[in-house]
Amino acid sequence: MLNIKDLQVSIEDKQILKGINLDIKPGEVHAIMGPNGSGKSTLANVLAGREEYEVTGGSVTFEGEDLLELEVDERARAGIFLAFQYPVEIPGVSTSNFLKSTVNAVRLERGQEELNAAQMLKYIREKLDMVGMDPKFLKRSLNEGFSGGEKKRNEMLQMALLEPKLAVLDETDSGLDIDALRIVADAVNKLRSENRSFVIVTHYQRLLNYIVPDYVHVLYNGRIVKSGDKSLSLQLEEKGYDWIKEEVAAIEG
Amino acid sequence: MTTITQDRFAEAKAQFQQLFEKDVQQLNGQAEQPLHQLRLQAIQRLPDLNFPTRRDEDFKYTNFNRALNLSYQQGANVMIDSANIDAYRLNDIAPIQLVFINGEWNAALSKMDKLPEGLTITSIAEALQNDAYKAWIEAQYNKETEGNAAFTALNLAFAKDGVFVHVNKGVVIESSIQLLHLAIVDDQAMVISPQLFVQAETSAQVSFIETHDAAKGHQGAYLSNGIARFALDANAHVSHYRIQNDSQEAFKLTNIDIVQERDSVFRGYTIDLGGRIVRNNLGAEQTGVGADTNMFGVYLGKGDQHIDNQSFMDHASAHCTSNELYKGILTDKARGVFNGKVMVRKDAQKINAFQQNSSLVLSKTAIMDTKPQLEIYADDVRCSHGATIGQLDEDSVFYLRSRGLNDAAARALLQHAFILEVLENIDSEDLQDHIEGLIKAKFAE
Repeated sequence: MLNIKDLQVSIEDKQILKGINLDIKPGEVHAIMGPNGSGKSTLANVLAGREEYEVTGGSVTFEGEDLLELEVDERARAGIFLAFQYPVEIPGVSTSNFLKSTVNAVRLERGQEELNAAQMLKYIREKLDMVGMDPKFLKRSLNEGFSGGEKKRNEMLQMALLEPKLAVLDETDSGLDIDALRIVADAVNKLRSENRSFVIVTHYQRLLNYIVPDYVHVLYNGRIVKSGDKSLSLQLEEKGYDWIKEEVAAIEG
Repeated sequence: MTTITQDRFAEAKAQFQQLFEKDVQQLNGQAEQPLHQLRLQAIQRLPDLNFPTRRDEDFKYTNFNRALNLSYQQGANVMIDSANIDAYRLNDIAPIQLVFINGEWNAALSKMDKLPEGLTITSIAEALQNDAYKAWIEAQYNKETEGNAAFTALNLAFAKDGVFVHVNKGVVIESSIQLLHLAIVDDQAMVISPQLFVQAETSAQVSFIETHDAAKGHQGAYLSNGIARFALDANAHVSHYRIQNDSQEAFKLTNIDIVQERDSVFRGYTIDLGGRIVRNNLGAEQTGVGADTNMFGVYLGKGDQHIDNQSFMDHASAHCTSNELYKGILTDKARGVFNGKVMVRKDAQKINAFQQNSSLVLSKTAIMDTKPQLEIYADDVRCSHGATIGQLDEDSVFYLRSRGLNDAAARALLQHAFILEVLENIDSEDLQDHIEGLIKAKFAE
């Protein structure tokens, strides 16, 4: 589904990613961990289509198509969803109108008919229930004055509504209390299916107590230096990242 | 020795004088009527008045005199199929409709039978025949207007179909009154002179919606030079909406003066979508304690449009409030101007004045000039003002696009959200929807 080959990325002439290789098949959940400054968020942002990053080498294909050639909105309509670390507050844009516009924009792209007002309401209510969000938020401006947990819940609501093929969670768990963390984990677990893949970028192992990944990758200094299964994340939790850094130093030594 | 200064506007003035004489020849016996005498006095003042130039502080950013370079005819009715008017009627919001084609009142197209009791709507010519109204109307004709005296004189000289509205004490007019102005101008430029004079007695309530459009397919140049005068008695409530969607070739000047007695409430809304050079002068004087004035404005400039809003809030009495909120979006080579003066006179204690102007400037060649001016002579008052000029927040654009909205849709949504803060102050939901629709259409152009 997603194929990353030797991806090299710079920002303001500083190389951040130095050759990432990653192959994600339908239905898989991949966790990307690593210390601060290792390039985790850069990877998430490049997949989402942020323009301030310069891809200097390598390739990313999504369902066989060159992902890097697609604009951010084209990626969204093609089925990629990015859950933001810091969702933006947008005064004056009602949450409800925004959700309707996005759902129909994505549906049209997939050759589905637009939902009418009644169908839309039903669909949104269903997903609100799923993520446990109070319908009163629909009337408010998008994320404006939402607490951290409410914003993340809103991200999960959008993920549920847009039914992506690939969801990238960029440190969605950072700064969340345990209740909010469960909201995120629940939403991901409910949406897990054989056709939908997840890339979960996280700094902390805690989220992986709730979302069991198929693969864990450790990103360090712009490269994936270690891959494994769930047990790798437990190892990291116990021992921190220093042993990884030492291993890398020994090899590069 | 006498110095003779060349009047740089001599030619323009001569043109208007000739045009006036030509118009008089077609009057057929109305020349003796009081209105004609007032018009005559106005044109006779013209030679001594100066058109504003950019050397005048209030016209520093706006060269409205470009309107004087055209060769004009007096605006007049042209034949139009009634069906072609329907698109401009606000039937659900304003059942009373006064229709003006090129400034001339068209009775057949207007809808004003069965006016509610206590509401008088008539021409100014007719109102002048009534002793109850005459003195006030004459006072309007003789009122000094600073800075805009020449254009005001032109309006008073050329307007033949001014509207006079009087609302009796305690009478509440529930539905709005639409003044539907339609310009049907092609190659021959025209002078159009809208006029609205309103008297609201104690505790009366009334709402006006002026719509200014150019008929589809008729995008000729014209000078629309309008005035409106409002006199609010104690506790009167008057709303005045002006939705301006004139031709891209139109020169649009509007002078609005409001005088408010105690506890009266005025709500003015200026929505500027069309026009080539647009200049609005909105002035409110609070002569009675406890008066409340609201001025809301939206301006959307594209292409070469130039939209200039001047407001003058004169707090002349104690315990009054004023609230001004103007927001606009400029792109291409459009230019916007906001100049908000707030005067608090010596005895106007305990007043509360708020003013805010915010603009989005979306292209490198668009320009916004904003200038709040506060003059405060009382010592126990609250005045706040703010002005911002900025661009769309790119993080917000990215966020919306990351959910599948294309770039144009994301930007349109954010622009709409920006303007919404003003539109939320519109009392009628139907009218707000209507205006939102016009704004969306303008964004989509």
